[in-house]
Amino acid sequence: MLLAKENKKQVRHRNRPKLSRGDIAFNIVNYTVFALITLACVFPFYYLFINTISSNELVRLGKIQLWPREIHFENYVQVMKIDGIMDALLVSVARTVLGTLWTVAGSAFLGYLVTKQEMWLRKVWYRLIVITMYFSAGLIPWYMNLRTLGFLDNFWVYVIPGLVSPYNVILVKTFIEGLPPSLEESATLDGAGYTRVFASVIMPLITPILATLCIFCAVGQWNSFTDTMMLMPSGKYYTLQFLLYKYQHEAQSLAALVRTTQDANAMANLATKQTSLSVQMTVAMVVTLPILLVYPYFQRYFVKGIMIGAVKG
Amino acid sequence: MKKKGLIFLALAVAIATLFLPAVKVYVHSQLGAETAALYPQTVSLWDMAVRPAAGLPVDSIPALGLIRLDGWMLLTGLALMAVGAALPFIRKRGCMHASLAVTCAALGLLATFTLQVVNVSGSLLFTMLLDEVQVFAYIPAVACLAQLVVLAVWMKGGESLDVNDMAWRRLGGVLAVLAALCMLLPGHVVSVPDTVTASPADAAAMNGTLSILQEMTGNEPNLAALAKGEGVFADVLTGDLAALEPYSADANNIRGIFTITTSTASMNAYLVGALALLLLSALLAFLPRVDRWFPLVCGALALVLVGASVTGMLTVSDADMFSTATRQLCKLGVGRITAFPALMLLVCLGSVMCGVLGVRAANEPYFVNPIPQRSRMRAAALFLAAAALIMVLLPGASFSFTKPGKNKVLSTVSMSGWQAMVFKTPEDILSPKDNKGKPIYAEEAGEGELNAHSAADTMGGITRAYGVTVWAALLLIVLGVAMLLRHADKRWPILLFLAAFAMRMGSWLIVSLQMPKVMGSASGTLYLYISLPLLVFAAFFSNFAHMEELPKKYKLFLMMLPFLLAVFLFSYLPLYGWSYAFYNYKFGIPMSEQEFVGLKWFTEMFTNQGHRDNIVRVLKNTFGMSGLNLVTSWLPMVFAIFLNEITHVRFKKCVQVFTTLPNFISWALVFSFAMALFAMDTGIFSKFMLAVGAIDEPVAWLNSSEHIWLKMWGWSTWKGLGWGAIMYLAAIAGIDQELYEAAKVDGANRWKQMRYITLPGLLPTFFVLLMLSISNILNNGMEQYMVFQNSMNKNTIEVLDLYVYNITIASKGTTLYSFGTAIGILKTLVSVTLLFSANFASKKLRGESIM
Repeated sequence: MLLAKENKKQVRHRNRPKLSRGDIAFNIVNYTVFALITLACVFPFYYLFINTISSNELVRLGKIQLWPREIHFENYVQVMKIDGIMDALLVSVARTVLGTLWTVAGSAFLGYLVTKQEMWLRKVWYRLIVITMYFSAGLIPWYMNLRTLGFLDNFWVYVIPGLVSPYNVILVKTFIEGLPPSLEESATLDGAGYTRVFASVIMPLITPILATLCIFCAVGQWNSFTDTMMLMPSGKYYTLQFLLYKYQHEAQSLAALVRTTQDANAMANLATKQTSLSVQMTVAMVVTLPILLVYPYFQRYFVKGIMIGAVKG
Repeated sequence: MKKKGLIFLALAVAIATLFLPAVKVYVHSQLGAETAALYPQTVSLWDMAVRPAAGLPVDSIPALGLIRLDGWMLLTGLALMAVGAALPFIRKRGCMHASLAVTCAALGLLATFTLQVVNVSGSLLFTMLLDEVQVFAYIPAVACLAQLVVLAVWMKGGESLDVNDMAWRRLGGVLAVLAALCMLLPGHVVSVPDTVTASPADAAAMNGTLSILQEMTGNEPNLAALAKGEGVFADVLTGDLAALEPYSADANNIRGIFTITTSTASMNAYLVGALALLLLSALLAFLPRVDRWFPLVCGALALVLVGASVTGMLTVSDADMFSTATRQLCKLGVGRITAFPALMLLVCLGSVMCGVLGVRAANEPYFVNPIPQRSRMRAAALFLAAAALIMVLLPGASFSFTKPGKNKVLSTVSMSGWQAMVFKTPEDILSPKDNKGKPIYAEEAGEGELNAHSAADTMGGITRAYGVTVWAALLLIVLGVAMLLRHADKRWPILLFLAAFAMRMGSWLIVSLQMPKVMGSASGTLYLYISLPLLVFAAFFSNFAHMEELPKKYKLFLMMLPFLLAVFLFSYLPLYGWSYAFYNYKFGIPMSEQEFVGLKWFTEMFTNQGHRDNIVRVLKNTFGMSGLNLVTSWLPMVFAIFLNEITHVRFKKCVQVFTTLPNFISWALVFSFAMALFAMDTGIFSKFMLAVGAIDEPVAWLNSSEHIWLKMWGWSTWKGLGWGAIMYLAAIAGIDQELYEAAKVDGANRWKQMRYITLPGLLPTFFVLLMLSISNILNNGMEQYMVFQNSMNKNTIEVLDLYVYNITIASKGTTLYSFGTAIGILKTLVSVTLLFSANFASKKLRGESIM
């Protein structure tokens, strides 16, 4: 929002004079190039979508390229009936909601705590936390550690380790440090303790940054699938993203699955008959949908978030 | 008025979905081709609840009559829902609240019925029964929930009941007691079908209900045990399953039913906790001096625990699942769940709601601590010391016995401090037996081998030493507590608690060091480890026992502590895993018995031909693909500069929104796009290339190893370009506008403005990002390469991270864990070095650090 406004001002200032021929040529090229880039970014979504709603037979023959034909929604209906999809959806939603709340709540409170100068050995603790951003023990030690702690095949592995995320803590800390200290002081004078100051003074003020963190976290949680792959060896708590990955890479199991879930009457109709391709594409579309739905509303927060993030590299 | 409409809409939806298909019925072909031809067939909830005979052809398959669902729950639930919808229209005080309660009850019934349907339809034994639940089956319960929400929202604006806070509080307490009492109600019903047993009498003998309390204490029905006790099912238990064969294609399923053992051998921790909290909440609710927040918090915690066990969703692991075995019974078709667990949950919810209303109704919002201020610190120290005292008496040492020279643990026995104090070592420790009841150590052994007698001697010695330390720790803590209570010098309790801490450490060291390697290993248990921090904290608080309040710096530190613990557990503890790199690590062997190989893996990276080739190859890939991204890292900047030249605001916004979108989808999804767009003969890219004549026949774009670096670069640019530009756009917005004005006055055209003002303005940002990406050159992530990798392109796509994953976690039975760790260590060291060099360079060049 902010950005657009700034630019508008700038536009009005700079481009009032009449355009020269060079400018016009430049504009034409510029607009065309950006239109093409935008198209390249959007087209795959559209292409996948029309392929899921068109006749599966035509899709198989490669006849659906630019617009849908023989539209039907049987693919979506059938995908919902695949064994395990509903569970995976539930797990995905649960991890997104719980993981986001947990991480954001943790980052907010921790970010507040590290601004308190009077804490015992504050700098030491703060550095201990921040330094973890720059090194990692590596894949195997990480895996073995979670294994030893009993997090394998455990839903909570999606949520609990996210409590402290140094980057978010830095963002919140920077944000709180930018707030006027007088508010907090007056609350303290009124007899409020740290938790109370945090809950009733700080929290309402830092909602913009928390909203940004929420979105980043939620998108990250929704999109991740490698953790499921490594940490769920016995196949419990699969997420939608992981199912999608599995369908892409295990075409055979998918084909078997397609056969078993097939209706007798659906079998007869080639147009709505499920193929492994159609299932894979429809699951992909189902996975994208939540992001496409929330994306337009939260787009401005991304901009804000990355601008705050830019303060600290 | 609108809200009233919504309530009726929910009701209408709930009723309407009754007649939509809820479950699909399949029949196993073993039941005969004729019957099988009747199916699959859909059945609605209404059929299942009200007229099973009409809905399911029970005549042809008598076994279908076994589906005994509590249809009354559905009907009563709907009736209550209707009442709940109608009540708000009576303009009397309290009608809204009554409506809320009624709808709650309806929700409980409907949800339980849905759970029943879902459980039964998942039944394995009767494969000919209901299968494949349709979405419509869930809708009545969801509609009821919607109605509840609408009512609640509506009520928020309505008039209050004018009940004072104490009344709310007492009501909450009563409800908490009721919720606790709900544990006595039957949670599950076991109903074994007649057809499974030899005679109906056998079936009847097996049938029964069991209360939630029984499940809580681990007394879940184990069909095998039950059957043994009743003397039925003789043929099944001996393995003759012929009688059951028509019911399942898989005899293992049937055998499985009868051999289910309770997995919750210990008490169900969730429910025990919930019971304790509910009773505590009720107790606190009736003590008027206690702050109103206490019963509320206890109730809320209990609610979480009850909810977790009832839904079985938030369980930490299977072992804690609410009556695991019984749930399995339900799944197998020999039992069903009742409405009572849901009722318990609702009552519990009601109790918490009353607590909340009580807090809201009170005028004084602040928390009132019932403990007088001057003794708070002392109370905290006493509480912690008391907890540590209890821990001393609980199982503190656990012994694992193995046969000499073997690694397999044959028996694990734990010993409580209580047993150790009376110096009476359990028989299981003196003469350990394996799970078949055979002694592990032989009575007579050859020369130099371990016999039962010497094993018993050794264990006796260890346990006696353990007993002495337990006594010592106990006495020290008791003394410390006494000192604290006496208002004596604060140094005494501190010293005593620390001494007790040392004793606890000593007992741990004694058991773990004295246990001979040939007999197995010994360690402390969770209780011992928990008691250590408790003692430290007791000593810590004792230091402030004479103060009114903890100094602020420590208060803040205590708040910080859980976070530090998390950082330690998830970021620093893994560093311990670096030690694997110096061993030949194998799964399932304790660290002390792993083979130490020193720097073998590190030297092998360079000396072993095979390993070296692989490392060089993946490093080439890593640097190649990171390098491509690095070399083109100016693209987002140029993108931003040119985007900034676009004057049409709408268009600009549009471009920005859509080019950022790819950043928010996962790599798995990107791969879906790739699969669709670049499919060999159906994808639009192939079609296009064929049409323009660039290729003559379809090319397998994804399953080839050609130009894989370029392709990967293309995808990461597609995904990251717009996103990367945002930072630069933000930087452009921060450039002083007067610079442009001045340039224009000086006659600079658009190019010159871009070249001499915008670009230099962006260079610092570019520099920082460049430095960061240089230091991240080895960490180019692996998700992207993982989704795109296949057997054709594996050689050129495998980056370092992916390689480590492929040779370790992804390959079964691998022995390369240590090697993978060694690579990881080197990688981390190189990355950190790079980062510091980049930071150093940045400081030198720009006088500003990037970290």
